[in-house]
Amino acid sequence: MIRLFKVKEKQRELAENANGGPPVKKQTAGELRLHKDISELNLPKSCNISFPNGKDDLMNFEVSIRPDEGYYLGGTFLFSFQVSPIYPHEAPKVKCKTKVYHPNIDLEGNVCLNILREDWKPVLNINTIVYGLYHLFTEPNYEDPLNHDAAAVLRDNPKMFESNVRRAMAGGYVGQSFFARCL
Amino acid sequence: MAEPKTKYDRQLRIWGEQGQTALERASVCLLNCGPTGSETFKNLVLGGVGSITVIDGSKVEVGDLGNNFMLDESSVGHSKAKCVCAFLQELNDAVKAKFIEEYPEALIETKASFFSQFTLVVATQLVEDAMIKLDRICREANVMLVFARSYGLTGLVRISLKEHAVIESKPDHFLDDLRLNNPWAELKRFAESIDLNNPDLVVHKHTPYIVILVKMAEEWAKSHGGNFPSTREEKKEFKGLLNAMKIALDEDNYKEAIEASFKVFAPRGISSDLQQIINDSCAEVDSNSSDFWVMVAALKEFIATEGCGETPLEGSIPDMTSSTELYVTLQKIYQAKAEADFLVIAQHVRNILKKVGRDPESISKTTIKSFCKNARKLRVCRYRLIEDEFCNPALTEMQKYLTDEDYSIAVGFYILLRAVDRFAANYNSFPGQFDGAMDEEISRLKTTAVGLLSDLGCNGSTLTEDLINEMCRFGAAELHAVAAFIGGIASQEVIKLITKQFVPMSGTYIFNGIDHKSQLLTL
Amino acid sequence: MVDTATPPSRSRDLDKLLLRPGNLVGPTFEPGTELREDLKEYVKVLVVGAGGLGCELLKDLALSGFRNLEVIDMDRIEVSNLNRQFLFRLDDVGKAKAEVAAKRVMERVSGVNIVPHFCRIEDKEINFYNDFSIIVLGLDSIEARSYINAVACGFLEYDSDDSPREESIKPMVDGGTEGFKGHARVIVPGFTPCFECTIWLFPPQVKFPLCTLAETPRTAAHCIEYAHLIKWDEVHSGKTFDPDDPEHMKWVYEEAVKRAELFGIPGVTYSLTQGVVKNIIPAIASTNAVISAACALETLKIVSGCSKTLSNYLTYNGVEGLHTKVTEFVKDKDCLVCGPGVLIELDISVTLRKFIDLLEEHPKLLLSKASVRHRGKNLYMQAPPVLEEMTRSNISLTLYELMDKVPKDIIHVTGSTRRDDKKTSCLRKLRVVFKGVEGVTDMDMAGGA
Repeated sequence: MIRLFKVKEKQRELAENANGGPPVKKQTAGELRLHKDISELNLPKSCNISFPNGKDDLMNFEVSIRPDEGYYLGGTFLFSFQVSPIYPHEAPKVKCKTKVYHPNIDLEGNVCLNILREDWKPVLNINTIVYGLYHLFTEPNYEDPLNHDAAAVLRDNPKMFESNVRRAMAGGYVGQSFFARCL
Repeated sequence: MAEPKTKYDRQLRIWGEQGQTALERASVCLLNCGPTGSETFKNLVLGGVGSITVIDGSKVEVGDLGNNFMLDESSVGHSKAKCVCAFLQELNDAVKAKFIEEYPEALIETKASFFSQFTLVVATQLVEDAMIKLDRICREANVMLVFARSYGLTGLVRISLKEHAVIESKPDHFLDDLRLNNPWAELKRFAESIDLNNPDLVVHKHTPYIVILVKMAEEWAKSHGGNFPSTREEKKEFKGLLNAMKIALDEDNYKEAIEASFKVFAPRGISSDLQQIINDSCAEVDSNSSDFWVMVAALKEFIATEGCGETPLEGSIPDMTSSTELYVTLQKIYQAKAEADFLVIAQHVRNILKKVGRDPESISKTTIKSFCKNARKLRVCRYRLIEDEFCNPALTEMQKYLTDEDYSIAVGFYILLRAVDRFAANYNSFPGQFDGAMDEEISRLKTTAVGLLSDLGCNGSTLTEDLINEMCRFGAAELHAVAAFIGGIASQEVIKLITKQFVPMSGTYIFNGIDHKSQLLTL
Repeated sequence: MVDTATPPSRSRDLDKLLLRPGNLVGPTFEPGTELREDLKEYVKVLVVGAGGLGCELLKDLALSGFRNLEVIDMDRIEVSNLNRQFLFRLDDVGKAKAEVAAKRVMERVSGVNIVPHFCRIEDKEINFYNDFSIIVLGLDSIEARSYINAVACGFLEYDSDDSPREESIKPMVDGGTEGFKGHARVIVPGFTPCFECTIWLFPPQVKFPLCTLAETPRTAAHCIEYAHLIKWDEVHSGKTFDPDDPEHMKWVYEEAVKRAELFGIPGVTYSLTQGVVKNIIPAIASTNAVISAACALETLKIVSGCSKTLSNYLTYNGVEGLHTKVTEFVKDKDCLVCGPGVLIELDISVTLRKFIDLLEEHPKLLLSKASVRHRGKNLYMQAPPVLEEMTRSNISLTLYELMDKVPKDIIHVTGSTRRDDKKTSCLRKLRVVFKGVEGVTDMDMAGGA
């Protein structure tokens, strides 16, 4: 290829400073794939997506979920999504921004959802994740807990669990933890 | 040296403290410090080998600056061994580095005893005659030897030593030792204590697959005349039974049990590789036998008696879906069995040592323990004398290589690397080493190669004109990138030999820098 | 054996390959002193990474006839680099890798010029990368490889018949190692698969389920990840964990030990803690030497044509014996990064709405409900409603305006298409060219445009 390089190098010497052009950010493969995911989103009515950094930054967004059945009916829960430039090779990082009394979400907002970690596959997409999150609210499970106490209450005393959830969502204490109102 | 642990952190993660200690105790010698030798030793010095001795009789020429990073303008006219040694020392002050300004050929001819002081000798850029002589010397003195050579876009690496036994072969993928096809009493008893039909979902989905499979296989055996599933239908049926045990869709432990069910179906007993080792005549031990073979003899007795056809248990289990409690209990059950097996083997070792007239405690517990843990992975590597290979190469292999497209370039280079040495012996220079008379040298090399092939008993075989031309074009050039590649491989093999970990290469590695279809030739 | 014909030359050995004709060589090989001198004068090589591979690469390339090298790396030298990054000494700890590496090689190889860049690869303008004849990658991250790949493939232009334009090709040579294993590959965009075509070669990192860490830990690594991912946030609200802060690492280690004791789990050590938290990949000098040498040799062969080239992926494994294998992977013809995409010629008067309609009728696309993205800007999004609303005003504008009046450029569209009577969604790359617009004198196109 050396002949080619030679020609190009000679041209470059001649064209010194001829071309600046505005610096452009490189589009990553992750951004392109995410563009597809986002433009095809088909969320449940009770879910809303927003883009805090404007219409062009798709890599950081928020999803709010308002479950329309189950223990968490009426609450609004906000999740932040951080998507990697090598998405979908790597799962998005998802955190729950609303402090919630939930067996599968801890008080720091970590979420135990298999497709976010051990079961993530590149064929999955943002839609699948949102549905997975939604599902956590309609069917919280006590077998794979992140919040041990909440799981134990759900398992042993569903009535009490229900009232704890209501109290937390209305804004108040459950045990030592204070929950801000999210109804 | 400050912070040696941090400095070596990234390699300690591969060969551990033990491997590092072995490296730091080793004394290695380099013959000829052109780029191939220099690059090999650069990697060994960085890794922290104990001491190095660099031997080269030449003075640095301007041409050497173009392919050897260890030399610079100020080196020209000085001893190459001295300059290279100084740079190597700069790389790691924990290494004891010295040099001898002497031609290796002279040492080989006159001071054979010189080589016995080393753990290992790396001989680079030697021609056939010197290789054969040095090989005999090192074999006699029980010094490990590695040959490395770069030549244009080709080159070779060849290990030569009588026997290298590896306990910690650390293979990448090796089936775990769970004995699901042959569970012992304690494991069965533990499995029996657990109810697979516990309706509590938390308990049900955290029962480890080891327990599930031991129980289900036992149950199967009861209704199948004591046998485990063996036919395709039976295996399928068994997996179906496992699947039917699920009480929820997302029970990962049952998914894992289905995936691991082949471990129940696997045949009992030891692998054919291990069978070969225990059948080796060296396993008939006497007072001169190495510790390794004494332990193999003990292993052989164990397999025949207490082991009932199995090796001592490895004692570790892979991670699997489970409650912490059940997992930790299982771990302990496996460890206890491994410990019990170890004690039996250790007793065999003591008895054998006594029988051959050695101190019964002369092999340490740590060594025996490591041997037991790795019993399924033992490896023994043996290498032919160079002279034997050169005079009587394995003909069927050679014929196969010559006619196999994947090997044709590599075997061509193998023949030509030997042919250029014959050429040099006759004409005092390598073909194409100097400009001019290229056509004549090509035809001379061709004649030499044809003669060599016929000497080896491969009459009628030919090498392509293109490859012979190419070899003359190379003109014995030592290209830096090729030397760095060959040196990288050579140093890697040296480390495996010294640490006695991983499996060193067998045969002769022939580098093919044209399309990278390099090959190992077993001749 | 004294050669009186030629004066002593530094390139004594290399000359054999560069000055002599051969039969097993590249198609455009023209041996001679001009080739040797052109290599020095006109070829500029960028080495990405000045770590284990980068140090070796700089040395290998400097001794393979190249004179103009540049190296980019954002890292500083650490003690744990010294077992393999042979250009660095204990006194260099804390200094910029790129700068020290460049200096050391220049000190030893006279005539070679190496420009160091102590920064992130993303900090450089895209045009910086276009200055090089060839890019050699010595990296340990998928993200960085993916980025450089996207940049290099971004220079690739296709003719109207979808064949790649030779003068726009930016070849890459990529190496990677892990312990006794490694790979070297040649990427010629448009001809061989790019990094993205074969990203599946890199298995995703295994991540433990959080509930395992919280509820049923079984291994030392589980205890460490619990301390790192869960306990840290619980105790240090708001303070981010810094893996390079020894205090932070010590805290995680101690918490992991406590947890391991609580559950009766053996094996937590400080070294393992670092390994798990920082995802440390074991690394040794020899493997790096082998892989870098293969990369440098391929670089020399691609540029000079002095031999055939690797086609196209070499794997190396020294764990059990020695295995090297060459695999010829194939290109993904629809690759969004290196593929040609679909050529579309438009009048400058075409509005975005009209353009979206055109895509539906285009025989190669038949794409309905398209969302359109150009250089990181969403021109129109069909969904979700919030983005549709934000981009709706664009659809009556002309595409030419929306694309900043460039005569031609790449855009990406997502929509649904019918295949075998089934609606499937797809993401396509388009090469939009505006008819009748005079191309600016872009130096990279001047040769063939």
